[in-house]
Amino acid sequence: MNRRYSLTLIGFSAVLLAPAVATACAVCLTGGADGSVADAFNGSVLFLMAAPYLVVGAIVGWLVYAHRRAVAKRKQYTGPDVRLVWNHKETGR
Amino acid sequence: MVKSSTAYRLDEPELAPQTSQLQFGGGEPPNPPLNANLPVISNERLAVMMFLGAEAMFFAGLIGAFLVFRLGSAVWPPPFQPRLPVGVTGFNTLILLASAFTMRAGLKAIGCGETKRLIRILGMTAALGGIFLAIQGYEWIRLIHFGLTVSSSVYGGLFYTLIGFHAVHVLGALIWLAVVLVKARRGHFTTSSHTGLLTCGMYWTFVVGLWPVLYALVYLY
Repeated sequence: MNRRYSLTLIGFSAVLLAPAVATACAVCLTGGADGSVADAFNGSVLFLMAAPYLVVGAIVGWLVYAHRRAVAKRKQYTGPDVRLVWNHKETGR
Repeated sequence: MVKSSTAYRLDEPELAPQTSQLQFGGGEPPNPPLNANLPVISNERLAVMMFLGAEAMFFAGLIGAFLVFRLGSAVWPPPFQPRLPVGVTGFNTLILLASAFTMRAGLKAIGCGETKRLIRILGMTAALGGIFLAIQGYEWIRLIHFGLTVSSSVYGGLFYTLIGFHAVHVLGALIWLAVVLVKARRGHFTTSSHTGLLTCGMYWTFVVGLWPVLYALVYLY
């Protein structure tokens, strides 16, 4: 456990203190980090990073909304709750 | 827990003597429960929703690729490229948006049990979708005539990839709508049972909602 934490700490430190060592992106390594192409890649990557959260968030949000709407609808119903309990066939009912 | 229930239980006194008697052949089959625990959203709608999520991610990838070239170019559109028909496509956008409203009206019609009105409205929706595709195809033929093809440049490749995939999705939605229209004419949909129509409406709404995003990105930005 201590070894795993220390390795994680070393990894984060490398990213913060020596980014040139930690970066693996070809765009950054080739020195095009200041160009418009690199900015375009950055923008596109940010957009693609956000896309799954937007899609899943929309689906989950809709499910939560549908559930709350159904609960509210059930609460509005004030009629008798008629249920037919399943009886064993041999009882004759 | 249940305030006024008419549930019949086996341990009721008047039933106790009868429980010991066996019925010849096992008796009648049990009654199904009236208030079954129905899910909030049907399996079909959940499946279509997952599919639409996958489609959204597919188009997000294509838009991401477009953004790389668009943001990385100093001049856009690139020089010596045919100009896109912004005005005609804008009018086409209105046609497609109108089809979303007619689809919504169709869902309301079946909710009220008006099947004939539903059939008429579905026909209008299909006609609007067909007009959209026809205008898109006509504009593409003109662009190809002016020299903008898939292989002519990155600009052409991006344009036809993005807009082409959307057109294929509209065509698929149109085929689905045609099947739904045939089923509606045969009386398959009722007020309480029209899941096929609902799922078709979901896909149609997705395809229509996606188009303004692509139009703004490709034609206007």
